[in-house]
Order: sequence, then C-alpha cells, then structure tokens
Amino acid sequence: MSDKLTDTFLAEANELIIDIERCLLEVGRGSDDRENISAIFRAMHTLKGASGMFGYELVQRLTHNLENIYQDIRDGNRFLDSVISELTFKTLDQLRLLLGGPSNTSEPAGYHELLEIVKSVSGDQSALSVDHHYNSPSPAEQCTYYIQLTPHLNIIRNGTNPLYLVDDLLALGSGIARPFFNELPELHQLDAENCYIGFEVILATDKAEDEIQAVFLFAEGNCEVHIARIANENLIKEFTNETNPFITAETGKVIGFESVRKSMDKKLASRVTETANKALKAKGGNIRVGSEQLDELMNLVSELVTTQARLSLFANISESNELSGISENIEKITRRLRDNAFTMSLVPFDSIKVRFQRLVGELSKELNKSVEFATEGMETKIDKSIVEKLIDPILHILRNCIDHGIETSEVRTKNGKSSQGKVSLKAFYSGSNVVIEISDDGAGIDLERIRDKAISRGLISKDAQLTDLELTDLIFLAGLSTADNITDVSGRGVGMDVVRRNIADIRGEVEVATIEGQGTRFIIKLPLTLSILDGLLVKIGATEFILPLSAVVKCYEVETTQLEETFNHWITLDGQRTPFFYLRKIFSITQAKPLYSQLINVPYNGSLVALAVDQIVGEYQAVLKPLGNLYLEQDEFSGATILGDGTVALVLDPTRMIKNLSASETTNQIHN
Amino acid sequence: MAKKILVVDDSESIRMLVSTILENAGFEVERAVDGSDALHVLDSNSFHLIITDLNMPIMDGISLIEKVRVTPHHNRVPIIMLTTESHTFFKDHARTAGATGWVVKPFVADKLLAVINKVLR
Repeated sequence: MSDKLTDTFLAEANELIIDIERCLLEVGRGSDDRENISAIFRAMHTLKGASGMFGYELVQRLTHNLENIYQDIRDGNRFLDSVISELTFKTLDQLRLLLGGPSNTSEPAGYHELLEIVKSVSGDQSALSVDHHYNSPSPAEQCTYYIQLTPHLNIIRNGTNPLYLVDDLLALGSGIARPFFNELPELHQLDAENCYIGFEVILATDKAEDEIQAVFLFAEGNCEVHIARIANENLIKEFTNETNPFITAETGKVIGFESVRKSMDKKLASRVTETANKALKAKGGNIRVGSEQLDELMNLVSELVTTQARLSLFANISESNELSGISENIEKITRRLRDNAFTMSLVPFDSIKVRFQRLVGELSKELNKSVEFATEGMETKIDKSIVEKLIDPILHILRNCIDHGIETSEVRTKNGKSSQGKVSLKAFYSGSNVVIEISDDGAGIDLERIRDKAISRGLISKDAQLTDLELTDLIFLAGLSTADNITDVSGRGVGMDVVRRNIADIRGEVEVATIEGQGTRFIIKLPLTLSILDGLLVKIGATEFILPLSAVVKCYEVETTQLEETFNHWITLDGQRTPFFYLRKIFSITQAKPLYSQLINVPYNGSLVALAVDQIVGEYQAVLKPLGNLYLEQDEFSGATILGDGTVALVLDPTRMIKNLSASETTNQIHN
Repeated sequence: MAKKILVVDDSESIRMLVSTILENAGFEVERAVDGSDALHVLDSNSFHLIITDLNMPIMDGISLIEKVRVTPHHNRVPIIMLTTESHTFFKDHARTAGATGWVVKPFVADKLLAVINKVLR
C-alpha cells in the first residue's frame, strides 16, 4: 500500500473522527438528533470500512462494535444517553491514538478493556440489534441439499456464467455436480451463444439455506433454481458408487429430486427429509414507476378534474338532488386522487443538495474563503419539474453569497465575526407554498452603491425616494451588477434579473433582505405544484377570471357606486383603509355594471390590497394551461384554464398584477 | 481501448484505493462521492461498469442502482456493490434494485479484479 494512499486514509479518518465528535456535541446541544445520529453512524461505518482496508484492524474492531451501538440508536431501539456519549468520546480518543501509530500494531494498554466495555454496552441490547435480527441461525450440523439449476437460454448473453454459480455452490461445502441437457435443439438450430446445459448438485454444507440461495442472488431472472434439503446430515461421505445417485443415469437427461431420492440406499432414504423450496421473498414496499407513466397519470387526473368541474356545473343546473349527490361524491374522490397523484411527483430537496454542497466547497477553496454550508429542511418536497428549474437560480445566488457576501477570514476577524463564514440553505412549507431561504452572514449589500449605480445607469432618477426594501429590490433589475471588478465566479453570464425571471417562470417570487455588515437573505417562494390550482372563480361583466385561493384573505360586498366615486382608490374595509384596484376599469370591460361589486383582499408586501370584481362565482379547481407566446408580456396572468362549460378563463396572479400596476405608477413618479 | 469504470464511495481513501487498483489493472476510472454525484457524472459519461458503496450520505448505493436502472443510456451497465455489509438482507435488496455483483470490504485486490473480470467478460 503506497504511503500516499495511507496518508489519505489517515487524513480522512481524522476528519471522520472530528465529524463524529461534532455531531455528538450537537446532539448534546439538542439540535436535530436524527440527522446527527445518522451522520455519526455513517461516519463510523465509513471509518470501519476504510480502516479494514488499510490494515488498521484494531481500529476496525473497535469501530465495528461502536457502530453497533449507534445502529440501535438510529433504529430507535435505544437512546443516546450520557454513558454512551462518554464512552464514544473515550473510544474516539483511543482511535486517534491507534491511527497515530503504524498499522498492524499490537493492542496498546487499555485497548482490550475498552473493547470489552463497548462490546458489553452494544451487547446489552443485542436482542434488538439489527445485525442479530437478520442473521438466521445456521445449523450447527451439516445438511445435504439437492440443487437443480436450469439456466435460461440467454443467461450467458446476460453476463452470467452458470459454471461460476456451480463453483460458488461447491465452495460452500463438499458436493457433486452433474450437468444435464436442457432442451437441446437440432444441430443446425444450435446457437453457440445459448446455454443448453443445466446442473444438478448434491451439496453437503453447514451453511444455512439462505446462503445457498444467495449464490443465485444475481442470477435470478436468468435461471430456474430448485433447492431441497434431502437430509439433516452429510450424505456425501456415505455415497459409494452404488448409492451415488448420479452414477445410474448418464443420459444427459435431468434426474430430478425424486429419482435422486429413490436411487439412494433405503437406509439413507429413511433419513431423507423433504423441504419445500422457499421462494426468495422480495423485500421493501416500493415499486418503481417510469416518469412518463407518472406524467400520464397527472395528465389523466387533470382531465378528470376538468370533467368533474363540468359535471358539478351540470348537476347544479339540473337541480336533481340525486345527481348533485353523485357529483359531490365524485368531486371529493377526485380531490383526493389529485392530492395523491401530486405527492407522487414530488421529490425532496435532498436530491439536489449535493450540487450546492459541491459548489460551496469548490468556491470557498477557489476564493480562499472559509465557508460553512448549513442546510435545513432538505426533506421538504416539491414538484419534480420545479426542482430542476431551481438549481441554476440557487447556484447563482449561492455564488453571489460566497463571492460578494462572505468576507475573507482576515476582514471577518477584524470586524469581530467568526473567521469562518456561514451560508445556509433552508427549505420549508408555508401554506401551499414552499419557501427557500438562502442566507449568508457576510457583508450585506451596500445600498448606497446600488443607488449610485442605479442612478448612473438611468434606472432611477437622482432624487427618487426609495425605501431600503425598494433599493435592495433593484438588484433584480437588468443591467445592475454591483461587481465592479468582475471576478471569475459571479458577475459574469446571468445576473440577478435572470434569477428572478427563472423563478417567475415557475410561478415563484424572489425577494432579498440585507443588513449591512450582518448578511443577506434571499427568499424564494414557490408553489408546491404547477399544474393544478385551487382557485376562486370571479366574474367581471361576462368574462370569468380565476384567482388563486391561497391569495384570497377575505371578500367584501360594496355598492358599485362607492368604487366609482372614490378619487384616490382607497376604501375602508373592516375599519382599515385599503387601496383597491378596480379591475373592470383596468381590463376595460364596459358591459352593464352590477348594483353591488365584490372586493377581494389579497396580501401584498406585508399589507392588504383589494381587487374589485363584479361577482364571486365560487371555488374552482383550475387545471393550468400555459398561455401562448402572444401573452408572454402579460405576466399578471399565470395561465388559463378551461371551465366546465368549455369557455376559457384567465388565471390572475394577484401579487404580480399589483406589482405591475403599482410599478407603472411608481415609474411615473420616478420619471416625472 | 481501456474499459471505463465509475467508482462511487463517500470515503476518499477507499475511492483512491479502488481507483489505484483499477488503474494499475489498466482500467480508466472516474470517481463520485455519492449516488447523487454519480448520477451527475452519468449525465455526461457512460461506463462499462459501476462500483458503488452501499452506505453513503445524500443518496445511498441502492437508490443509485434504482435510478441508474431506469436511466435509458445506463440501464444495462453492470453494477457491483462494494461494501462492509455482507448480510443477505442487503444483498437481496441490492439484487432487487438491479445490482450485478457484490464484493465485501475489506477485500483483496485480486478478488475485486476477479469479480470485475467476471462481470465485464
């Protein structure tokens, strides 16, 4: 073993020990125990495997026993109490000592005692230990088995050589193998790549039947295997020429278990037992489904939702109680089916986490900055198609955090911060949304510089009064990069405007908050899924629109004249002065006005804004269809849906609409 | 042309060790730190063989096999598990997922190469 390899191992082993210590301390501090315990277990497991490879047998032995304890803890069979954690620390010290010396040394003082303690602690619970559980008792006595192996014709083409299987079988004990022909065709039909030979093996072994079956583990599907126990003792040594069951038939035909039994001496046969071949049980409750199949399921569910909406509509019109009952029932089932199908297409963040970890690792090395990357809530699930589109924006934000946010160690120490910077990625559910927070504890965004830059680029006027929030938001504008000297890392290629656009494409929002000197936080808000929306169906004139139900806070009824007569578009709702947008006017709908209009309160930037419509029809599950290219500029509509009667309704994105409407006003203010 | 092998293990030393053994035997080797990383490597490379650890953070070996087996370009590549686990339960699990072979750690180089040659032939 070369020195370089051993050095790598030692460095890694030390890292693993440090990891274990760190996780152990964190468990002590009461952070996420499950995650830490799995991490401890995994680190021990890796250490065990590697130390075995590099000849550190003592390390391997000690770690193995310690690992058993943590396996129990991980599986919830015991608690990580102070006794165990103290023992672990003690063991880690011992491991360090062992790793400090050469491999293959003799046991240092205290090793044996410690090993015994660890063994006894892990042994306490051995009845519950998983290892123990899986081990089927192996018979102490030798048994004799009859094994018939019939390979499929294509077994060799599939990469399995049946001879190896026979070799592996015979390696389990002593045995006799005999080939037979398996449906041998006429010579001219013989395919050299086919396997026409099968084998019968009589095997005497002290191994359990499980282990015999394990030989065929990777050949299953390529051959038929029949295993029968013929005696609870070793018959092989009693075989003479007369009793050898294979001697009697040399025809190349399969003899079979029955004949083997018959051909044996009566004396032997009386002791022969027959055991049914236990089928290999498939374990685990998961089945794999192709993603096209899943997409098809989602499609069908979508269609079903649309059709069901139509049925509900028809049931309402028909005024038949019976039909309404059925329709309501179908609605309930459809909803559950829909929710069920959804969860199937959700994937956890975990699946993309490693991309971010690698980026942070590589970047911090490249930029020579010390950065800790923390993640939280990576089990949060989100639609598969969203996840894929999220990777690039998050990578970009992370790049910015490390490149511009995190300061060098020297600067950090000078400013009284820990020398290691911290970047964290957090995901969690919030209502029907998934929120992703990316934050760093770096320098924050220099708002004055943003301001200067925006003025110099003509994005805002010189005397524009902007709040800090609005200023920070400017980083999402195209053509505003604060990176004066474009580094290799960020400041090239896509800018934050692209990040916002990409996130908007998946119906998400991105915001940024920063405190100078303390750090920056990016908040991405995303819908759980893209294809179906729980909506509120509203009407203006004869035109129908859908609002996402998640955005609706409260609805009010007011006289239409009240909306028409106001001069500043403010109205008092529940004693609160609320700005409102009169959609009838905005959409230039001129059909007859109703006597009463409806105001719908939606949240916007921490306060409430009302949208005025003519009529609220009711809740509606909308199957979102994308709008065509012609509507690309109309981002206040997130899509369209087909209503039960076949008409098309646009789906409003209230936040974006309000933003656009108020932006046009703000821009006017800025430029005037 | 040298056959290409992807080695997936979260332990750097095992990764290096296996790579060294394989490279000395004339194989071309790529490395990945876990299942998820391996999938990224597989996005743009194809291999004659994948050797993977079982127990890894983020994505374990069995999930990797399951994923690879439904990936159109890679669904037929032989996959050998290289792991400290030796129990049938795990082997069974791996086989169901679509593993081709199994080598238990600690292993000797000759044994590993023998299994590889067996699978690659």
